[in-house]
Amino acid sequence: MSNTAATTKRNKKQALGPYGRVGQAVGELDDRLGVAKGGRVFLDKIFPDHWSFMLGEISLYSFVVLMATGVFLSLYFIPSTQQVIYHGSYKPLDGQWVSEAYKSTVSISFDVRGGLLIRQMHHWAADIFTGSIIVHMARIFFTGAFRKPRELNWIIGTTMLILAILEGFIGYSLPDDLISGTGLRIGYSIAESIPFVGSYLVTFLWGGQFPGTGIIIPRFFIIHVLIIPLVLIGLLSAHLGLLVRQKHTQFKGEGRTENNVVGSPMFPTFMAKTTGFLFMVTAATAILGAFTQINPIWQFGSYDASKISYAVQPDWYMGWLDGALRIMPSWELAFWGHTVPLEVFLPAVIFPGIVFQIAIMWPLIERRFTGDIAMHNLLDRPRDRPKRTAFGVAFFAMLFTLFAASSTDVLANFFHISLNVVLWFFRFAFFIVPIISGLVAYQLCREMQGVHDIGQRKRALIVHFSPEGEYSTVPSATRPDDERHELDPEPVPVRIDIEPLSNGGIRQPESSPTGARQVNR
Amino acid sequence: MSSRFLLPAGLLGVATLASLAMIFPGATASASGHADANQVSITPSHVTTRACGTVSVKGVTNAVPNAGNPFLSNSKTCLNGHLISYGNTAITYSNPPQSFISAGRLLFAQTCSSCHGNDANGVGPDGQATIGPNLQGVGAATVDFWVSTGRMPATDVKAVEAERKPSRLTPVQALELAAWVNSLDPSVPAVPNPHLRGADQSVGQDLFSLNCAACHTIEGSGDALAFGTNAPSLQDRQVTAQQVAEAVRTGPANMPRFSGNLSDAQVADITAYVTEKLQHPQNPGGVALGGVGPVAEGFVALLIGVGGLALICFWIGERSPKDDDDDEHTEGGDDPDPAKAQEYAQSGQEHA
Amino acid sequence: MSDADHQPSRTRVPMPVAALSDPHMGDAAKNPERTEQIIAVILFLAIVFFGVAGAAYWQNWSDWIFGGALGIGLFALGFGLTAWGKYLMPQGPFVEERHTLASTPEERDVMSAALVERSAVVVKRRRVLGGLFAAGAGVFGIVAAFPLIRSLGPVPGTSLETTGWRKGMVLVDSSGRPVRKETLVVGGIMTVYPKDTVNTETGFISDQGQAVDQTVLIRVSDQPFTTEPGRENWTPAGYVAYSKVCTHLGCPVGLYEQQLELLVCPCHQSMFNVRNGAVPQFGPAPRPLPQMYLGFNDDGYLIAMAPYDQAIGPGFWERNS
Repeated sequence: MSNTAATTKRNKKQALGPYGRVGQAVGELDDRLGVAKGGRVFLDKIFPDHWSFMLGEISLYSFVVLMATGVFLSLYFIPSTQQVIYHGSYKPLDGQWVSEAYKSTVSISFDVRGGLLIRQMHHWAADIFTGSIIVHMARIFFTGAFRKPRELNWIIGTTMLILAILEGFIGYSLPDDLISGTGLRIGYSIAESIPFVGSYLVTFLWGGQFPGTGIIIPRFFIIHVLIIPLVLIGLLSAHLGLLVRQKHTQFKGEGRTENNVVGSPMFPTFMAKTTGFLFMVTAATAILGAFTQINPIWQFGSYDASKISYAVQPDWYMGWLDGALRIMPSWELAFWGHTVPLEVFLPAVIFPGIVFQIAIMWPLIERRFTGDIAMHNLLDRPRDRPKRTAFGVAFFAMLFTLFAASSTDVLANFFHISLNVVLWFFRFAFFIVPIISGLVAYQLCREMQGVHDIGQRKRALIVHFSPEGEYSTVPSATRPDDERHELDPEPVPVRIDIEPLSNGGIRQPESSPTGARQVNR
Repeated sequence: MSSRFLLPAGLLGVATLASLAMIFPGATASASGHADANQVSITPSHVTTRACGTVSVKGVTNAVPNAGNPFLSNSKTCLNGHLISYGNTAITYSNPPQSFISAGRLLFAQTCSSCHGNDANGVGPDGQATIGPNLQGVGAATVDFWVSTGRMPATDVKAVEAERKPSRLTPVQALELAAWVNSLDPSVPAVPNPHLRGADQSVGQDLFSLNCAACHTIEGSGDALAFGTNAPSLQDRQVTAQQVAEAVRTGPANMPRFSGNLSDAQVADITAYVTEKLQHPQNPGGVALGGVGPVAEGFVALLIGVGGLALICFWIGERSPKDDDDDEHTEGGDDPDPAKAQEYAQSGQEHA
Repeated sequence: MSDADHQPSRTRVPMPVAALSDPHMGDAAKNPERTEQIIAVILFLAIVFFGVAGAAYWQNWSDWIFGGALGIGLFALGFGLTAWGKYLMPQGPFVEERHTLASTPEERDVMSAALVERSAVVVKRRRVLGGLFAAGAGVFGIVAAFPLIRSLGPVPGTSLETTGWRKGMVLVDSSGRPVRKETLVVGGIMTVYPKDTVNTETGFISDQGQAVDQTVLIRVSDQPFTTEPGRENWTPAGYVAYSKVCTHLGCPVGLYEQQLELLVCPCHQSMFNVRNGAVPQFGPAPRPLPQMYLGFNDDGYLIAMAPYDQAIGPGFWERNS
C-alpha cells in the first residue's frame, strides 16, 4: 500500500473519532434527540440480582409469546357462530353442524402447518402467564415491596392480573367447543344473577336469551385481540416505567442501604441475562406446546347447548370460582315478584369482588394496621413480618382449597368416596384450612426469627473423646463454598481501561472529571 | 249344475277369500323360511309364536323397527320354539346355543345361586329375599354383560355398585350362564354383535356427546357420580364392542336403558366411535395428560412451566445476600447522604 | 459538566475509570476459558437444533419434532446468552445511589400554589362558566353511554321467561323422530325438542330449540304417577319431562341414574329426584326443574299440553318465583 493511501485511511479513521461509527451514531442521535446523557444513565441502571426478582420477567416474556403466537392465530381464526357442515381432516366430525369459529380452530390444528404447535404454545403461555403473575405477586406481597412509594405499581399489577384472567377466559371460549361453550353458558347465568341489571346485561351482551344472536363470539374476539391487549400494554408500560423511575427494591445485606441499589448494570450484564431468559421462556412454551397436548377441541365437538360432558372444568385460574360455586349451599331469595339467586351471585360475583378488592387495596389495609407511612426500598424477609405472612398464607390456602373443591368429582372417583361426603368436606375445609394454615405460618415465622443462622449451611461438629472419658465437640473447618465472598459494591465506571477497537489503535488521551487518570497506551 | 249359479258362486268365493285375507294377515317380511309369524299374539310384555316360543319383550321397544325387538327387526331366525337370532346389517343379536343350558345350570348353582337363589328368582331356599335380584326375564345380553365385564360374581356385596374387574369366568362360561338364565324366561335383548365395518363414526360422536358424555365424559374417561355410583371408563381397551352394545341396550345398574330412541344402526355407530376412536386416541398434540382436562393442564403449567422457569431464575440470580453484622444499613425514609457520595468520589481515585 | 450542576438532588458520582484488572470487571467463572468453550458448544447446538426445526417444517414432519427442536434450540440459545451474562461478564457487584424521588418542599409549594391559586383566580371570576362546563361534560358522559351500552342488544322484556313450547307441539328427538308410547322402556331417557326446531333433512337444530326448549324425557314407570299435587295428568304412560336447563347455572341436566331415579347436573352435581317433580335433593341448585304437562295426540305421538308454567333455567331479578 502506498503511503498516501495509508495516511488517507488513517485520517479517515481519525476523523471518525476514538469511538468510530458508534460514536458517530451517538452524535447524530444526540443532535436530534438529546439522548446521550439519559442513555448512559439508562445503561448504568442497576438491577439487583436476587433470583426472585426475575419472576415478573416470566410474566413479561410469556406475554410477549402470547402476542406473537396470538398474531399468528388471528390470521386464521374466523370469529363467527355461523353454522356450517364440517368436511375436513378430522373424520369423526364429518357431516356435523359446527360453528365457523370451531371449524377454523380445528383447521388451524390440522390443516395449517405448525398451527397446532402455535395454538398449543399460545394456550400454555396463557396458563404460565397467569401463574407467573400470581407467583410474582406473592413475592411482592411476602417481601413488602408494595409499600410506599410502590403502592400504585401494586394496584396496576393487580389490575393486570384481573385482566389476564379475563383475557384467558375469553380466549379459550373463542373456539366455541363443547367445554368452553358450557363455560360461557355458566358465565351468562352468573351475569344474569346480578340484581336489577343482570338480565339487561346479558341480553345486551349476547343479544337476547341464551345463546342470543351469536354475536358474542365476534365481540369476544375483538375484546381478546384488541381491547384487553391494548389496556394490558398500557398498564405494562406504566408498570415498567414506575419500576425504572422508582428503581427496584432489594434485600438487606452488606453494602445495601435504603438509598442505593446493588446489582448488575443494564448493559451488558442484565440485558444479556434477560434476553437469554426471554429465549428460555419461549423455549419452555415451545417444548410444552410440542410434547404435551392441551385443549384438544376436536375431541369435544362444536358447542351444542343441549349437550354436556361430565367432569367439565374451566382453566386453572378460574378453578377457584368453580369450586366456590360447587360448595355454596342452594340459597335463593324470592320475594315480591323478584329473585336474587344467592347461590350464584354470592360465590361468583360478590366473593371474587371481595377477593380482588382486598388484593388491590392491600397497601392501604396494611398501612391502616401498621401505621407505617415511611418509604421502603429494602425488603422484608417473610419471617420478619409474621402477621402479614400468615395472612398471605391463609389467603392462598383458601384459594387453593377452592381450587381443590372444583375437582370434587375427580377426587371422589380417585379415592372411592361418595361425592356428597367430599362436598361436605370442602364446605368445612373452606373455613378451617385457611385458619390452620395461617396459624401454622405465624408460628413458623416466629420460630424462624429465633434462629439466627436459619437457612445457612451448618458446620459439621467433630466429636472428640478425651482420654478422661469426656466428649467434646469441635466445629469442622469451613468449606470454601460456605463463605460466599462478595466484593464491595462499587459504582459503574465511566470508562474502562481498554482501547477503543474502532480506530486501529490510535488513542485520544482523555481527562476524567476528577482529572485523576491519564491513560497510557 | 246350472251355469247361472257360476257367477254368484264365484263372487261369493272371492268375497269369502277377501274377508279371510283381511282377517288373517299374511306372513311378515321374514328372510327365513321357518317363521310362522301369522300366529303372533302380542300381549303387553310377551310374544308367543309357534316357531319362536314365548319371548318376553319387556326390555325392548314395541314401537320402532330395528331397535332391538326381534319381531320388528329386518331378520329373525327361530327354530323349534326358540329364538335363535335377529337383527339387521348393523347389529345381529343371538341367543347362546341350547346346548349351553345344562352347563349353565351347573355353573349357576356353583357361582351365583348363593346370592340370586337356586332358580335365579331372587328367593333363597328359606323363602326370604336374597341379596341379588331376580334374574328371570333379564335376557341373555344382560347376563353376558355382567359376567364378561367381571362385575359378577360380585366380591363386595355391600358396595353401591358392583365394580368392573377382570372376569373370573371365561367368555364361554358367561354365555353358558346366559343360556340357562334365559331359558327360565326367554327374553330379549339377546347377545348383540355389532358390525362396525359400515358404521359412521361421526354419527357416533354426535350421539355419544348427546347421550353418553353426561356420565362417561366426552373423552370416555368415566368418573364418580352421585351417592357412590360411578360411570366406568370407556377408554379401557378391554371394553369390547359387544359389551358397549350390551350396556346401551340393557341399561345395567344406574345406566339408562336405550331402546326405541336409538336404532341398531345408531348403536353400532356409537359402538364404533367408542371402540375405534375413544379407545385409540391419536393425540396429535402430544402427551394427553390423562384426558381429565384443564385441571391436569393447570398442574403441568404451574409445576413444570412456572416451576421450571422459577428454577432457571434460581440459577440465573443470586441467593439472598449475607446480612450485615454492623448496623450500617438504614431503614426509614432517609435522604441520600452527601457525605457518602463524597466517599465514593474519593475512593475512585484510589483505584489503579 | 458534571451532574451536580444540573440536578442538585442527584448525588450519584460515577467512578472515573476502572482497570481491566479490577476484580469487579473480571469474570465470575472460576475457569473462564472452559466456561467459554462450554457456552460455545451450547450455542452451536442451538444452531443445529434450529436447523432441525427448519427441516422439520420444510419436510412437514410431525409438529412435535418441529416444536421440540425449536424449543430445545431456543433453550440452548437462551441458556448460552444467559450463561455468558452470568459467568463471563463483569461480575460486579455495582452500586448506584437512589436520587430522592421527592422534590424539595419549596418546589412542592410552588406546584400546589400553581394549582390552587390559578384555579381560584378563574373560579372567582368565571364561576358560572366553570359550572356550565362541568355540567356539560357530565351530561355528555351520560348521553355518550347510551349508544355505547343501549345499542348493544335488546332489553330482556319477557324473553327470559318464555320458551317456544306451545300446546299441541310434538316432541321429537335430535333426528326429528316423534315419541310414541313404546319408544322408551322403563329406565330410558332421551332429549327432545319441539318439532319445528329440528330440520329432519339436514339435521340442523335451531338455537332456540337447543338452548331454550331442550327437554329431558324419562320413562320412569309403565303407569302414570303424580309428581306433585295438581299434576295428576302430567305423566301419561309413566313418561315425565322436565326442562333440561339446570336451575343453577343453565347446564343441560343430562345425567340420569335410573335405579336412583335421580337426574344429576354434570356441572356442579345438583341432584333432582324425578319422581317428585325434580326437586333438588343435593347440591347448589335452588329450584326444581320446571315440569312439562305431557299428553298423547291422536297420532299416538307425545305432545306438550301446555307451555312450561314458569321461567326455565337459572334465576334472575325479574323472575317471579
